[in-house]
Amino acid sequence: MSRLAFLCFLAAATFSLAPSASALDVPPLTGRVVDLAHVLPNSTVESLTTQLAAHEAQSSNQVAILIIPSLERESLEEFSHRVATTWKLGQQGTDNGALLLVAIQERKVRIEVGYGLEGVLTDARSAQIIRNEIVPRFRTGDMPGGVTAGISAILKTIEGTYQASEKAAPRQESEVIWQVVGAVMAGLLVGLFFMNIHHRLIGPVAGAGISTLMAPWLVPALMASGITLLLLLAIGASGTGGRRSRYSGIDDWVWYSSRGGGWGGGSFGGGGGFSGGGGDFGGGGASGNW
Amino acid sequence: MGPTWWKKTVITLAMISACSVSGCGYNDLQGLDEDTKAAWSEVINQYQRRADLIPNLVATVKGYAAHEKETLEGVVNARAKATGIQVTPEVLKDPAAFEAFQKAQAGLTSALGRLIAIAENYPNLKADQNFRDLQSQLEGTENRITVARKRYIDRVAEYNKMVRYFPTNLTAKFLLHLEERPNFTVADEKAVAKPPEVKF
Repeated sequence: MSRLAFLCFLAAATFSLAPSASALDVPPLTGRVVDLAHVLPNSTVESLTTQLAAHEAQSSNQVAILIIPSLERESLEEFSHRVATTWKLGQQGTDNGALLLVAIQERKVRIEVGYGLEGVLTDARSAQIIRNEIVPRFRTGDMPGGVTAGISAILKTIEGTYQASEKAAPRQESEVIWQVVGAVMAGLLVGLFFMNIHHRLIGPVAGAGISTLMAPWLVPALMASGITLLLLLAIGASGTGGRRSRYSGIDDWVWYSSRGGGWGGGSFGGGGGFSGGGGDFGGGGASGNW
Repeated sequence: MGPTWWKKTVITLAMISACSVSGCGYNDLQGLDEDTKAAWSEVINQYQRRADLIPNLVATVKGYAAHEKETLEGVVNARAKATGIQVTPEVLKDPAAFEAFQKAQAGLTSALGRLIAIAENYPNLKADQNFRDLQSQLEGTENRITVARKRYIDRVAEYNKMVRYFPTNLTAKFLLHLEERPNFTVADEKAVAKPPEVKF
């Protein structure tokens, strides 16, 4: 019986694995220009990378290029969408990413457009760029020229749609701080209530528990419960007097400890690495061949 | 007085945490239910976008190939049929209504395929800038429909699993009264709706 079940499982596993194994894998995002077919000279790759990085710094739009030797019988549109969503080009929330995909052997090219850029880089505009800028150059064998002209046209089209902003990360951090403050407050209320009707130890423990439950994520939760526990123990030890002066002190402490302790998160790793910002794609864009 | 009150509090807290930890699936089911609805709205949205493109496309083709009456009328009729189906939340639950909707949209896909195919015979039409733009918009929209359908298929599969798995099926059946949803039956609508290829 168990052997039969095992066989069934094996069969199911092979069947479910079969299609994903034959499908073309999404290559790793090693940079803004991923040229797996080696049709671009190094100088072109460098200048394109600088151009795309400068554009992102100014507009937060993320545009990447992928050139593959062959689609290996996979549909161009499906593969392109899979790459774009796996790489998560564009910023989270604005979805302002785009991908230029070239398949050498099939002589196919596609511009995949993220949700946030569909309004300016429309299907018709994408098709025009492919038809007027890319395909004529590809036909004469000028791959670097075609890619460069296509990217220039794409960047010119989406210029000014979004502005790069520095606000996103800090705002998230302060949101966490307020949630921790809220959790500590709730913990204090519950803790003091229990301390009034019960034991001096149960109160602080209950308060710390409430703080843990209410705070977001693990580190802030531990921090909130620790703060609540210490404060309640201190209040319990010193009687119930002087609560007002202590309250203004709580806020300072929370602000200070959360900044000093630092759970990091928000900062984007600077340097050479390039990673997608979390953008999403809904299948917009255009395809063409040469 | 004190101890019994204390016990009650503990029991209540324990029950709440047990439900949230072991997962009776209440929140997950509600969340997935909303997710499938959102995914469905996207599908409808893209089908509507396609329907909106058609009057312009038909008018443009008419300008160059007015005598292709049959094909043009076929598209207009298929569009009327597809937009005639009212997409209420009931469609999502009723397999028959769902199939009728799917059939009507597939019919429109097929009629549009024929229209694009005859355009190949008219070089002037193919060179028309307006037609080219409309054609790329149509292609883009067909691709968006594919993506939206795929996302809906994935969501419904997830939702249906939750509705059938134990113990979340109990929550779905007795507490929320949720049922399995019909899904798109053919993974690739285009394969069915493709017009017959003519080879010489």
